Formats: sequence, structure tokens, C-alpha cells
Amino acid sequence: MNDMLIAVTLLLVAATATAAVAARDPVRQALVLAVLGVALALLFTVLQAPDVALSQLAVGSALTPLLLLLSVRKVRRRGRRKGRTE
Amino acid sequence: MTRRTTLLHALSDFLLALFEVLAWWAVLAVLWLVLISVVDALELVLGAAVALVGAVAARAARRAVGAR
Amino acid sequence: MNGWTVTATVALAGGGAAAVWGVATGPLRRRVVAQNLSTTLACPALLLLAQGYRRPSYVDVALVLALLGPIGTLVFARLLAEDLHEDPPIGLTLTWVAVAFSAAVVAAVCAATGPGRAMVKLLVTGALMISGSLVASRALARGMPKGGDRHE
Repeated sequence: MNDMLIAVTLLLVAATATAAVAARDPVRQALVLAVLGVALALLFTVLQAPDVALSQLAVGSALTPLLLLLSVRKVRRRGRRKGRTE
Repeated sequence: MTRRTTLLHALSDFLLALFEVLAWWAVLAVLWLVLISVVDALELVLGAAVALVGAVAARAARRAVGAR
Repeated sequence: MNGWTVTATVALAGGGAAAVWGVATGPLRRRVVAQNLSTTLACPALLLLAQGYRRPSYVDVALVLALLGPIGTLVFARLLAEDLHEDPPIGLTLTWVAVAFSAAVVAAVCAATGPGRAMVKLLVTGALMISGSLVASRALARGMPKGGDRHE
């Protein structure tokens, strides 16, 4: 039954990672990546590595989406400004 | 006369600040006490010190947000 | 293997599948709600796992997720404020279901732990988890309190 739990979390990670690869729009990809971070933390906890899960949570659930969204915002604003001057 | 009122003002400001930092310190120290796994002297000393730093930071943060 | 881990498996299989499906397909408004739902669901699952493995220190993972998950959702609510303002998320019923599930899990784990410092820690985690989830879903539905275009 413990194998069942590991299998379920592994399936979750695989499904979320596939969705992250398949997403085209970076904003939607950031959302999928946030869920992937939580799923990976669950997998690490199930595999009895809570310390790895802690660092994964710190990086995956808040920092990665923030970096991605800030970059998207900067690129968009620069594109808008360039479009206006041209 | 005016000097005395400004002195009183400064004193009451200081007391208010002290009270606020003490309140934050109590909350943070209790939180530390709840979250640690083993209660011993080293943890208590460290918790009290870190809670004091956190209390001063919390007051600064509240003033920064409230001034907006 | 015991009832705690069985419950965690069932919750993760059902809710996790719903969250992944919601975040991978559909309009943006549904995706942000699904992302919030994933953290609201993973938190009680982690509490169940900590109880099931009889390792009270695993509660720390749930505590960190209860703190950081809503912060991540608030990042989305803040930086996607313009998109979400045109098309606000509706139908937060699933989030309410997840919140009720977390409250039930916290109550059950507290009853199993018994009174003491460990129980206070569980209650702090549960309060953070539930209030964080509610604040995050509210920010998604009604926009950030100070408006999303202060720096524009």
C-alpha cells in the first residue's frame, strides 16, 4: 500500500511535468510549474526525504513563478514601448 | 512649559514603542517555543534573542506599511 | 500502512488529478483557482503523511507549505491582476471543499496527538493553512486590495 502512495505521487509528478512541457504561454507554464513544485515536494516526502521537500517548496512554489512572471512582465512592457515609438 | 510638553511627548512615544516591541516579542517568543522540538536552556536563550530581532523588524515593517 | 496514509492516497489521487487537469487546461481564471487548490490540498495531505509515518517532524513541511503556498498564489494575483480583472475567477466551491477537508484533517490529527506543544503546533499550521487559502482565493476573486496598477 505504501507503493500505492509512491505510485500516485509519481503519476502526479509525471502528469504535471508533461503539462509543463506542453504549455506554450509562459504565464500558464508558470502556473503549471508552481503545481509541479508542490507535487515534487509531496514525492520527496513520500520517499522519506522531508529536508529535500523543504528546499523544493522554497524554490518551487513561490520563487520560480515570481521570477518567470517578472521576466514576462518586463519583456511585455519593453515590447509595448518599442511598438509605441516605432 | 513647551519644553516640558515636548519632553512628555517624547516620553509617551518612547513608552508606546517599547510596549509595541514587547508585545511583538511575546508573540514571537511563544511561537518559537511552540515550534521547537526540544525545550532546553540554549533554545530558550536563542529564541528570546531572535524574537527580539524579529520584534524590532516587525515594528519597522508595520510603520513602513502604515505610513503609505 | 494505516488509515492515515490510505486517506492521503485517496485525497491525492482524486484532488491531485482535479488540480492537474484544472491547471493544464481551460481559461486563465480556472488555472489560478486550480493552482490555489493544489496547495490547499497538499497541506492536509502532508499532515496526514506526518501522522501516518509517525514522524512529528514531518509537520514542518506542511507548515512551510502553508506559509509559502498562499504567497505564491498572491504573486499570481498581483502580477496577473489585469488579466484577472477582465475575466474574474468564479465558482470557488472546490476551494471551500478543500478548506473543509483541511479543517477535518487538522481536527483528526489533533485528536490523535493529544494535548501538548505538538497540538499547538498543529493548530498553528492549520490556522495558517486555512486563513492563507481563504486570503489567496479572495485576492484572486476580487483583486488585490490596493489595486493592481499602482506601478503602471
